[in-house]
Amino acid sequence: MSDLLHFAEHRLQEMALAFMFLVYTVRIIWLLRFRAARERQAPTGAPDTSVSSAVLHSWANIAMPWAMESTRKKFFLYLQFVVFHLGVAAAIILSFIIPYGPGLLEHRWVVRLIQGITAAACVVGVMRLARRVANPHMRAISSPDDYFSLGLLVVWLFFAVLAAPNDTSREGPLLAFFLLTAFFLVYVPFSKISHYLYYPFTRYYLGKTLGHRGVYPVRRRPRAV
Amino acid sequence: MSKRKEQSHRVKVVLQRLREKMNRQMAGSLVACVHCGMCTDSCHYVLANPDDPTYAPAYKADKIRKLFKRHLDWTGRVFPWWVKAEGIYSDEDLEELKDTVFGKCTNCRRCSLNCPMGVDMATFNRMARGLLVSVGIMPEGVAVVSKDQWEIGNQMGVLKEDYLETLEWMSEELRDELGDPQFTIPVDRTDCEIVYAINPREVKYDPRTIADAAKIFYLTGENWTMPSDCWDMTNFGLFSGDDELGGAVARRLYEKVIELRGKKLVMSECGHGYRSTRCEAPNWAQFDVPFEMESSVITMLRYISEGRIRVDKTRNTEPVTFHDSCNNARSCGMFEEPRELLKLVVTDFREMYPNRAENFCCTGGGGAMSMSEYTPRRLKSARIKAEQLRATGAKIVATSCHNCVDGLTDLIRHYELDMEVTQLVNLVANAVIVEKKVAVPAAGPPKPAPLAGKTILVADDEPDQVAWLSTLFADHGAKVVEACDGDQALELARTHKPDLLTLDLAMPGKSAGEVFELIRREPQLADLKVCVISGRPELRKTIYDRSVKPPEGYLDKPVTEERVLRSVRKVLELAHDDGK
Repeated sequence: MSDLLHFAEHRLQEMALAFMFLVYTVRIIWLLRFRAARERQAPTGAPDTSVSSAVLHSWANIAMPWAMESTRKKFFLYLQFVVFHLGVAAAIILSFIIPYGPGLLEHRWVVRLIQGITAAACVVGVMRLARRVANPHMRAISSPDDYFSLGLLVVWLFFAVLAAPNDTSREGPLLAFFLLTAFFLVYVPFSKISHYLYYPFTRYYLGKTLGHRGVYPVRRRPRAV
Repeated sequence: MSKRKEQSHRVKVVLQRLREKMNRQMAGSLVACVHCGMCTDSCHYVLANPDDPTYAPAYKADKIRKLFKRHLDWTGRVFPWWVKAEGIYSDEDLEELKDTVFGKCTNCRRCSLNCPMGVDMATFNRMARGLLVSVGIMPEGVAVVSKDQWEIGNQMGVLKEDYLETLEWMSEELRDELGDPQFTIPVDRTDCEIVYAINPREVKYDPRTIADAAKIFYLTGENWTMPSDCWDMTNFGLFSGDDELGGAVARRLYEKVIELRGKKLVMSECGHGYRSTRCEAPNWAQFDVPFEMESSVITMLRYISEGRIRVDKTRNTEPVTFHDSCNNARSCGMFEEPRELLKLVVTDFREMYPNRAENFCCTGGGGAMSMSEYTPRRLKSARIKAEQLRATGAKIVATSCHNCVDGLTDLIRHYELDMEVTQLVNLVANAVIVEKKVAVPAAGPPKPAPLAGKTILVADDEPDQVAWLSTLFADHGAKVVEACDGDQALELARTHKPDLLTLDLAMPGKSAGEVFELIRREPQLADLKVCVISGRPELRKTIYDRSVKPPEGYLDKPVTEERVLRSVRKVLELAHDDGK
């Protein structure tokens, strides 16, 4: 392994991670400095609703495609979402396995599994990018950050597929993967990719508000089949 | 070197208030959107305008988000163009924002419930409305209604004497109907179990709902009262985004209930009023409410389940569907109670799809009915609701919200659906079993026809409508004169000096507004009573915005014989009270 690759896998990642955590800490402090609204109303809704169950429902919402009309009606998009995020998670895990647990990648099935997931996510990323460009509604709401983040993730996932075998005789893909990972760690706190940081906040507050008002968990009565 | 743009005074105020109003929940919602587009199809405006991306919830939200990012979020200040952070500078920018937050969204919250990230777009759309209102930028109707609620104490400018007269009038009606000459709607009684607060629309356009509620309270033997003032449970602060107005309006009502030592505040069927008073206003007013608050839907359901009133559902045999008001359902969790109640009082209940938290807005929500400049957009977007209604095959759509009544009535007429709108209280009152006292009729001369001796001028450009009204009035003893346009109406009013003019708002010739103002300003016609009968609620302002005494009556088309007669009798009885 070259010194450059070793640096990219270890010291560079550690510095980028430290930077990301620093910015995230600042970001969370910034968010918490906004006052939390006090709720004075007495609860409404069915007696079996409660704030705690509503918050749990809200957090788990993303894993319940039946809970929202949008995910029910656009189930293919929901599947894309699942595949894409699994791919990103696999690539993140890969960025830790390679430097800290390379022995795991000696199992062929582990490599194949990671490659399969990241490759599928890469394909989905391309589809999402195409949708963002082709769909007028998506174009209208997209910022340069939206295109850039998605495009970069596609490239990163592509190199994750190539880097997964951890073949140090071919350093190119590994180097590209780790340099991109470091770049992401620095860029992510400033981009939309930070949404995972906000998800617990937004869904907590929505769950709390709507739980107190008896709306969450959402009730509906589908048409009888 | 580029010159830095100057911000207008209003923009500076808006940005200052944005900083003051921002809380953690809204900040979270403003940073969390990933522009995934999942919310797009949840909005009725988008579904009715599929080729116009400016209606997409995320697009509309970005109009507000860009300000937040540019002025409050440091990432947007560092890389503004990269994350679409944009400043605002001129009053024109604020006008453009007004068009989005008032004219392209009813704050129905359907997109919020369909956002995977939990971004509550309706909440910050309301906040943006409030920012604009704070600098006087708002649709004219919003300004008028807000002014009435601030100054007169209710959002329709109903005067105290008119309110009390209406209660007395309804008491008279019920004395006959219930066979109890002692019956009266109690006002300002202290230590009651229930203080009943209503929507001013009931006084102005739909007093029968007051009578129906009073009838139910009477039959249960409830210890109840209505306040003589501070009786408006609606709250335009919810629509205008003005927390100060919202808090002040609700505080008046809360303090009135406390003054009367009422144990529970029951609110008539009004979605935004219920949501405001029950859920949001304790926060706006920073008031810890010491009594219970309840929707009359829940009260009526309890009365039936406790056996305090008996109902006969066979009196409501037409197929009925139920429209969930966004405020009652999506924002207050009231889903099942209205359905349970309907199933007790109608024989043929048909569910609407989608329903409950996923129902579509009536399109009249968020104060849309008061913003006549956006009526064409509203009616276009109402196609979604019309299709939903049509699919039920119902003849009656019941709802628990006065805004929804107006919104649905308007779209039913526009899309020519064979349906009428009613409220649950009307269906319950119709189904309730009244154990009538047996009264022996006293012998005496036959009663004269109720409109005998009165001359009524019917002004309407629809021949069918003229014929129907003329026959109705003539059958009840009135002398009828007919006019088919504004000029003729004015001329005949001068010639015949009628007691009452029923005035359509959309007629050829001189506009109804002009005719109305000329009549009001002409000394010889100054005592002529006017009852507007119109199918164009958006034209109300052409009458009510004039600096003359408002009309004595107002009815929305389509209208039943019973309602026309009741309103006309009321208007003419007022004439009698005036000493004519």
